[in-house]
Amino acid sequence: MIACQDLHKSYRTGHGRRDVLKGINLTINKGERVALLGRNGAGKSTLIKQIGGVEMPDSGRIMRHMTNSWPIGFNGGFQGSLTGFDNARFIARIYGRSYADMREFVEEFTELGGVLKMPVKTYSSGMRARLAFALSLAIEFDCYLIDEVILVGDQNFQRKCHHELFEKRADRAMVIASHDMYTISDICNRAVVLENGIATGYDDVTAAIERYNSL
Amino acid sequence: MASLRKGWDIQTRVIGALMLRELTTRFGRENIGFLWIMVEPLLFAVLVGLLWRAAKGPVEYGVDIIAFVVSGYIPLVFFRSTISRAVNSFTANGSLMYHRQIKILDLILVRFMIEMIGHMMAYLFIALALGAFGLFPMPYDVGFMMLGWLYYSLFTLAIALVVAPLSEMSEVLEKIIPVTNYMMVPFSGAFYLVGSLYTEAADVVLYFPPVHGMEMMRYGVFGPSIDPQYDFVYPLTIILPFMALGLVLCRVVRRRLVVE
Repeated sequence: MIACQDLHKSYRTGHGRRDVLKGINLTINKGERVALLGRNGAGKSTLIKQIGGVEMPDSGRIMRHMTNSWPIGFNGGFQGSLTGFDNARFIARIYGRSYADMREFVEEFTELGGVLKMPVKTYSSGMRARLAFALSLAIEFDCYLIDEVILVGDQNFQRKCHHELFEKRADRAMVIASHDMYTISDICNRAVVLENGIATGYDDVTAAIERYNSL
Repeated sequence: MASLRKGWDIQTRVIGALMLRELTTRFGRENIGFLWIMVEPLLFAVLVGLLWRAAKGPVEYGVDIIAFVVSGYIPLVFFRSTISRAVNSFTANGSLMYHRQIKILDLILVRFMIEMIGHMMAYLFIALALGAFGLFPMPYDVGFMMLGWLYYSLFTLAIALVVAPLSEMSEVLEKIIPVTNYMMVPFSGAFYLVGSLYTEAADVVLYFPPVHGMEMMRYGVFGPSIDPQYDFVYPLTIILPFMALGLVLCRVVRRRLVVE
């Protein structure tokens, strides 16, 4: 279980501060797939960063009783000047995994071949997404935090992602921020709509999508 | 106890991984790779040493002038490069905050350790090379030399711990730091022996902890003839409070750090 209690987060702007999260309460239980819905700038990425521990909230608490991935997205978690393999080696080291296994999985899953020997800054966003998913799937977490990159890339890769994430790891929890309502309704079993810094939870995903569409 | 042990394992693993990562990003794997880290201090020390040799003749304070300059300049370059690498090190490494086991202190510690090891290697290398030509003495007391390095390094770390978070908090400070870095030169003890200064000047420079470290190092290398002036306790009364302040500032900055 991961529980957020009354999270507040604001950022400094040119003049004064902008409150992005104004008291978020959210609980993610084992195996739940929670959709995070909201317009651009509603605070979806901000909330995911707080849950992942990338940034610290101004106030409020986050209790983590299961392991969670870093926020998986197009950037973040990579060192652009290092190659794909070097990034994999670094991740393997800090999470205490064997690099040989990691390398094998990354090669097999991303199908990027020789590109993995090139610096990540030369990758397209689709290639980055492949690498990001491969690295986090190789570590194994109880809860995956996915920021906008769900089911990207070509058909073949989408199928593979679907299989690895939702079939093989059906027991894992996920927090998914996305604007792709088709995917959301297909995958998620709960939803949270972010609006004006407040989170409203829905047990019925369809109702949440209706609310989102009316925003 | 078990969790302490686990935490220690994670931290050493993380620091090792970060060091290897930093070395690959900074120096690459081509040609001499991470040995590049020695090149800058070596060149600096040798060129400045030759400059002094040309300007002042072969002997200074009764010891070989090149050995004297090298013994002062390499630690000074170490201090300066550590501080300039500490500036903005959190923003530059923001993407590492994606991994929760990496703490903000690790970032400073890793950069500090790389500079320290690199400059100590340079020192050793140059001492051996000069020693082969009889230009560098056999150390009088290696233990004292290491103790001097330890004091000097602790001071450097303490300042890095304060500078790194301050540079994130204020742009003015970030711009001023290179200048103050330069102003440190007379207060690092690199280019004189305290024993040879006027009493008033000696009293002033001994307020600065690195001077004590430098005198210990030189005592370890050249022996009692240089009349070393140092204190074991005083430097710590400056270094430890600075470290504590640095830790507090790091905590404050971590809370506000915005990661892309």
